[in-house]
Amino acid sequence: MTLSRRDFLRLSGLVAASTALASCAPANRALAPLKSVPWTPLPASDFLALNRMTFGPRPEERLRLAEIGLAGWIEEQLAYDSIEDGGTAFRLRNLGTLGMSASDLADVSDQIFDNADRGKVPVELRQGTLLRQVYSRRQLFEVLVEFWSDHFNITTAKGDCYFLKTVDDREVIRSHALGSFRDLVWASAHSPAMLVYLDNQVNHKGAPNENYARELMELHTLSVRGGYTQQDVMELARCLTGWTVKEHFWRGQFTFDAQTHDTGVKSVLGLDIPNEGQAEAERVLELLTGHSDAATFVATKLARRFISDSPPDELISRAAQTLLRSKGDLRSVLRVILLDGLAFAEPKYKRPVNFIASALRMLNAETDGSEAVQDYLLRMGQTAFGWPTPDGYPDRAEPWQGNLLPRWQFAFSLMRNEIPNAEVNLQDLLEISGARTLTESIDQIASLLLGSPLDPAARDELIQTVQAAGADEAETMDVVTAGLLASPAFQWR
Amino acid sequence: MALQTLPVLNNFTVRTALRPRLAFAPRNRAPRGDVLVVVFLRGAADTLNMVVPHGEDAYYALRPTLGIPRPDDTRAKAELRAADLDGFFGFHPAMKPLLEVWQSRQLALIHACGAPDESRSHFKAMELMERGVESERGPATGWIGRHLATLDTGNSSPLRAIGVGQLPQRSLSGSVPVSALRSIADFHLNGDPRALAQIRAALDTIYSGDDPFSVLGQDTLSIIDILQKMDPLASAPSGSRFPDSEFGLALKQVAMLVKAEVGLEVAAIDLGGWDTHFAQGASEGQMANLMHDLSSGLTAFHADLQDHMDHVTTVTMSEFGRRAAENGSFGTDHGHGSMMMVMGGHVDGGKVHGSWPGLDRGQLVGPGDLAVSTDYRDVLSEILLKRLNNPALEDIFPDYRASMKNITF
Repeated sequence: MTLSRRDFLRLSGLVAASTALASCAPANRALAPLKSVPWTPLPASDFLALNRMTFGPRPEERLRLAEIGLAGWIEEQLAYDSIEDGGTAFRLRNLGTLGMSASDLADVSDQIFDNADRGKVPVELRQGTLLRQVYSRRQLFEVLVEFWSDHFNITTAKGDCYFLKTVDDREVIRSHALGSFRDLVWASAHSPAMLVYLDNQVNHKGAPNENYARELMELHTLSVRGGYTQQDVMELARCLTGWTVKEHFWRGQFTFDAQTHDTGVKSVLGLDIPNEGQAEAERVLELLTGHSDAATFVATKLARRFISDSPPDELISRAAQTLLRSKGDLRSVLRVILLDGLAFAEPKYKRPVNFIASALRMLNAETDGSEAVQDYLLRMGQTAFGWPTPDGYPDRAEPWQGNLLPRWQFAFSLMRNEIPNAEVNLQDLLEISGARTLTESIDQIASLLLGSPLDPAARDELIQTVQAAGADEAETMDVVTAGLLASPAFQWR
Repeated sequence: MALQTLPVLNNFTVRTALRPRLAFAPRNRAPRGDVLVVVFLRGAADTLNMVVPHGEDAYYALRPTLGIPRPDDTRAKAELRAADLDGFFGFHPAMKPLLEVWQSRQLALIHACGAPDESRSHFKAMELMERGVESERGPATGWIGRHLATLDTGNSSPLRAIGVGQLPQRSLSGSVPVSALRSIADFHLNGDPRALAQIRAALDTIYSGDDPFSVLGQDTLSIIDILQKMDPLASAPSGSRFPDSEFGLALKQVAMLVKAEVGLEVAAIDLGGWDTHFAQGASEGQMANLMHDLSSGLTAFHADLQDHMDHVTTVTMSEFGRRAAENGSFGTDHGHGSMMMVMGGHVDGGKVHGSWPGLDRGQLVGPGDLAVSTDYRDVLSEILLKRLNNPALEDIFPDYRASMKNITF
């Protein structure tokens, strides 16, 4: 495991001497701990619905669902702009790079240590991403942000993406995650990070590079089952010649370079495209985003994320129709998928981010989302913006199974408060819950983590085995809680 | 929806992709054969620059800046030229570490190798290849998964097959649960003996079911125990130098497991980064660095397992090759025919197998790609049959009739 900043400072003997440390202390230190509210067992379908629409429901979210019902909850979350989220903004306040322009980001990366610190910007982006997933009250929005970050995958490991992804995250993904699909693809196509990631900045007249053109059709819109050909890929690549990124003073800005644009006539998917510069590929974008193959593809992926690894065809086609009819309105599609689809939900395996975020959220943990937690994500195989290929992290269960150990390590380390910058206060939670005995406490925690208490026989067996292994009452509580986090049931949502 | 109101700890598991271990009895029983190590070069490696057809003028015409100079091209510095293998093909300079294995005749190359799929999509091609299927309608499990499921070797080790890294590869999926293992040194639970006893008691109870997910958990617990008991001296690297990379680490872990005799039969390893559309470099650069990792890793693995090469077969593969002509950005776009390497003590090595389709205009396929003259399933089938004792080829590669190319004996 890598050293945390705190370990590093301690080893350097700086901790005692440094009063400046307070100013770089994690944001959460300055906040009053997030107060939890009591919770009650939930019907399995409600717990499941919340698990799909959040990174693991907090008690407040359970309460809200009980107050306004599923449809009301969904509408409230879809209107994410009107959800007050100042607490999250406060936690993000020290991550200054999240709001910077491309040229400022380039400067920040290059000033520190003479060109050497290319880590700062992506580290802050990863940290900010996890903080938002754990603390934002706009949970459905954050779930969609993660979804589109996979759909339009970009890794910070490629070229200038180490700083350009921060702009893409803000201006492409977060600006349009619950807006329109057409605007998302449009923004992504004009995003310097995407053009660099898929080599379009070197796609020139007479020397085309097919990389972005292919993935724009295969992964962003039509899907590999869409009816495009190798010829269409090559023609679209020609349309996209000259779509590039400025350098020097304007580093990191989109530009269309007429000098390197292929001015010949093109034909993509049967559409003849005259010589009209930047507008050529933009015409194709309109064609692709309004195409029924794209609607089916996006509907399938959304249904897979929210409903089931193999979503029902009827739901997909209804969602696809809605996407087409509404000209790409993502809120309308989500209403269909959630309101019509949740009844058909099948178990979804938690991906690492979901596993970690749900543990932290449900147990009301305090974290600043920094190295120690990120390191677990890395070992589980899902570091944000770390997937190398443009298909994004897999969504289906199977690829993620078979790597249980880091989840267990996380669960037990978290409950022993051994993970730097991730603290759980079980006593506080138990006080809020009103539990008096060990059994009641475990029932409460099981209800928190799994929706409702365990079968009493299974609970008692677990308590007995842990105590037979020498655990006193406090240890039993911690080990059983960690055991619940490590259990098969908690790996599914 | 039939989810229970009262959760039991393993309530969701019956409907997962995993099925109970040995839900059907394998039709074949045979003693364990070789340990098979499958290295997947993800991103479509430019194998034309890895094993260079320096005897082809067309190669140099198609690759004016990326072509690797001929072994006797005195205009280029000696260290930048291809290393001749057989008068027609030569290794890229970064592949030279493998010359040693080539000369010992334990390395065979199969050029113009690949799959029939012509989508030129990484994701479709990888998926079909890892599933070992002709089309998407084929079985959803992986070819290695079906190998494990169709052959009973009397080996019940949870380390029978592993995916090296964080995520087990698609090729491994099937009825036999397979764990991911990145580093033997990290594969343990943390805590003092008192804490560990409690954790272990909890996990043993929680994962005591006989559903597939519980079995996976039990396997993980057994692997922890096996690795803890492994003799660190017996399994230590024998002085051979693995590259300081994820790939080097992966090969080192596999070598340790082979030497420790913990029941390993198949290991899958990924080496990514081969999608070189831009500035791939010629004799030096981005792709040369990757090739160096690959060749020095395999060479170290071969040296480290010298005494075990009789029963270890390593194969490399990639989803497809790259366009014969370089593109305008000093890289190469998606192509078709690729190249496979097979390394081991029972390999007809020091030889480039397969017929060479050529790179002339009339010989290229699609938008200008090397044709496929050997199906990748021929190579794998032969290894499975001859070296791993599994005759169930029609289950492993459905709708395909493999022909033996005598690459192994």
